[in-house]
Amino acid sequence: MDSNESAARAFEPYEIQMGPQHPATHGVLKLDLELDGETVIGCKPTVGFLHRGVEKLSENLTYAQTLPLTDRLDYIASMANNVVYSNAVETLLGIEVPERAKFIRTMVMEMARITGHLLWLATHALDIGAMTVFLYCFREREQLLDLFEEVCGARLTTSYTCIGGVRQDVTGHFLETLHKFTEEFPSRVREYETLIDQNRIWLKRTQGVGIVSAEDAVSLGLTGPSLRASGVDYDVRKHLPFDAYSEVEFEVPIGKRGDVYDRYRCRMEELLQSNGIIRQCIEKLPPGPIKADDAPDLVMPLSKKCVLADATLTSGVIKLVEDRKHYMEGDVYVSGECPKGELGFYFVSDGKGRPYRMHIRSPSYIHIGALPFLCKGQMVADVIAIIGSLDVVLGECDR
Amino acid sequence: MEIRYKTKKGLLENILLLEILKGLGLTLKRLFSRSVTIQYPNERKPLFPGFRGKHALIRDPVTGDAKCVACMRCASVCPARCITIRFERDEETNARRLTKYEIDSLRCIFCGYCEEVCPVNALVLTEEYEYSGYTRTPFLFDKEGLLRNWDEFLEKNRLDEKRYLNPFMRPRGISVKELPSGKRIDVPKEWTLEGQVIWRNGKAESVSAREISREE
Repeated sequence: MDSNESAARAFEPYEIQMGPQHPATHGVLKLDLELDGETVIGCKPTVGFLHRGVEKLSENLTYAQTLPLTDRLDYIASMANNVVYSNAVETLLGIEVPERAKFIRTMVMEMARITGHLLWLATHALDIGAMTVFLYCFREREQLLDLFEEVCGARLTTSYTCIGGVRQDVTGHFLETLHKFTEEFPSRVREYETLIDQNRIWLKRTQGVGIVSAEDAVSLGLTGPSLRASGVDYDVRKHLPFDAYSEVEFEVPIGKRGDVYDRYRCRMEELLQSNGIIRQCIEKLPPGPIKADDAPDLVMPLSKKCVLADATLTSGVIKLVEDRKHYMEGDVYVSGECPKGELGFYFVSDGKGRPYRMHIRSPSYIHIGALPFLCKGQMVADVIAIIGSLDVVLGECDR
Repeated sequence: MEIRYKTKKGLLENILLLEILKGLGLTLKRLFSRSVTIQYPNERKPLFPGFRGKHALIRDPVTGDAKCVACMRCASVCPARCITIRFERDEETNARRLTKYEIDSLRCIFCGYCEEVCPVNALVLTEEYEYSGYTRTPFLFDKEGLLRNWDEFLEKNRLDEKRYLNPFMRPRGISVKELPSGKRIDVPKEWTLEGQVIWRNGKAESVSAREISREE
């Protein structure tokens, strides 16, 4: 083999497989990269390594039983999944949630957003090479996880909401600790910004990398901060307010350039906005019941016919109750703004206690679909930054 | 709201690496502050009541046996289907008698539905999270194993079985009327619907029963 031939071979495009056991792909994501030197000319994501069949499983479980499964979608911010799932089922069953439960849900959802964004910032910075931020972020995340443990008994797999409200009321200790957290948190965000915001290595790795224009972002189906960084003002909390979002004041940060740095800035601003929402929710928290009167029991009946003991009869006679709220037939799509983007639940109900079909519109799955577009023409090292900036969670993507 | 960008750096700031020095300064400052790390095996974080951990059947202090009445509510609500119950009828009274109660804790997803629906507070997920083994068999708890878990939990934490309270025994903020009689136990005032907390005058305060009725 002469030297010319070997030189020509060195510049032939070649393929490498990144993942599924790669620490910077945030889970079991496999990317088949086609490289020309160090430039990516093709990218093919492979998903499904974490597939558990949540959608199919839910067809054999009652609506209440599927709720713990939604913890395992976006396991970084499972509270948000619980809230959106309960909202969807309540829309299907036509249940109105009491005011107090709405505020509690908004509060825990924003707490989930902060935990999600903190973990995103920690791992994203770690991928790019900033180790210290990781430790700082986990310090605050730990405080919020402790609060989750206090209010529902688990740190990650919360299962906190129920259909028609929340399972447990908040305690005074919870509110006071959370209020203290919201007072300290803006200064903590400033600490993260001191570490990386103006750091020249950080700027070199993020600015001008993975640019996506507003039109492309919409057509790729991006949602959440990834979409808003491109300058599209779309937030489910503002446009289709659910729970108590219409009663709290907050702003939606919008980016300009749509690169990795803007996505980072958007999420940092969202941290502060979420902090403000939590504060308002604590201060506005009204007294009252936490569960709707017509909320179904956890042991949900499976069919339309259900029997109830008549309270007026003392002999223990059981009679058929006709006017009990039945499960409605039809389909419903309800979405909510999760830390990653718009999480939607689509139910087809045939009037039984189980969904005929449940579809989950998970933002991570759609964001991974946008990876080939974003990675084309970038360097291999920037692929890591782009995956990190889209904030994908494979539990939600593969479901 | 447009996102804010920091102002561009001047030439002097660029040469002097000011932003990196600021970051290093923060790290240096943290070096002298109190550590937040818990040295796990040596020190442990106190858990909150209601942590969903190892399963146990509460031993009734009167009979010395499980309180379970074999109503099958836990088995039917379990999303992972990890609870197996068998019962037989007493020939004279026609009452249900528990013959087998098994929890496969490897299948369990620790949602806490079982302890919430239990009408007599027979089952509880204790605040015990350190249990491991080399085989699967120790995690298939039968009735005796679950009762043993309860005894071990009480012994380890030096708890009084009569005074042990868990938020799932009577969910916080639920009206007494909606609870089965077995769950109408005495709880701290804060856990009841009448004593629920709101934020007032810069701290969490309990509302009186009068205010709730006025709200309605």
